[in-house]
Amino acid sequence: MMILITGGSKCGKSSLAERLLQNISKNKYYLATMKPFGEDAHQAISRHREMRKAKNFITIEQYTDIDKIQIPAHSAVLLECMGNLCANEMFREDEIFYPVEKIIRNLKFLHAMTDMLVIVTNEVGMDGISYSAGTMQYISAMAELNQNIAQMADTVIECVCGIPLVIKGEIPC
Amino acid sequence: MILVIGGAHAGKTEFVKKHFNLSESDILDASENQNFQNAKCIRNYHILIQKLCEENADPLAFTERLMQENPDCIVITNEIGCGIVPIDKSERLWREACGKSSCLLAERAEKVIRMLCGIPAVIKGKCL
Repeated sequence: MMILITGGSKCGKSSLAERLLQNISKNKYYLATMKPFGEDAHQAISRHREMRKAKNFITIEQYTDIDKIQIPAHSAVLLECMGNLCANEMFREDEIFYPVEKIIRNLKFLHAMTDMLVIVTNEVGMDGISYSAGTMQYISAMAELNQNIAQMADTVIECVCGIPLVIKGEIPC
Repeated sequence: MILVIGGAHAGKTEFVKKHFNLSESDILDASENQNFQNAKCIRNYHILIQKLCEENADPLAFTERLMQENPDCIVITNEIGCGIVPIDKSERLWREACGKSSCLLAERAEKVIRMLCGIPAVIKGKCL
């Protein structure tokens, strides 16, 4: 089963994703894709790691190449989030890599290894601002990723101020 | 408490006036005035959050106080989080505070209405 959760900043996506997996206690992984930046980030990350441990999540940090993670078959994975993964795959060193194909390929691999894959993504294209070429490419890549993942997913949810709006499929009980 | 959310100029205030039979004087513009205690409706809540952030006040504590002191209020706020994460820290914090306050208001509200193209969708509570 694959579930995609989208929405804006601080709209309650992560808590919703955690709630969807709350009945699973074994082989439940939190795949964190955000690169820590500065001392504050390291502190926040270790705090979050402990909080998730209490909810039976095992945290794996993987900023790119998510097909490299080692998990047993039939696991449950919460990937948070596509926005960071996309940026990490795109902006490496001085070059810009268009990451859509690679990420979709890796996700398919992850999907095959899991019984439950919950992907948290972001809506980044609705502020109407024209950014630099690189950022515009990022917005385009995110839009393409979201559409591709939504097509693969059994369920797609838009989270609006903590309220899940199901736009494809249904929320599993 | 009723929460009405949506993008800028999505028809939120017009809908509230019509549906709840309110006049302009019933609606407090939070970008101009923060005296929410007796207001039937507050609009531009996201601008109020921005001001609170600028004053280093706690927007979530303010939101808590609003819900306690005026629990029957209709709150209108913009959805602003669906874009690129701002580079500027204060813009980023404002955006996050708006998201968190909306989650808090929605959690306690008996009804949440989301406006899209002038069309209200009840996303929490009984239908209109």
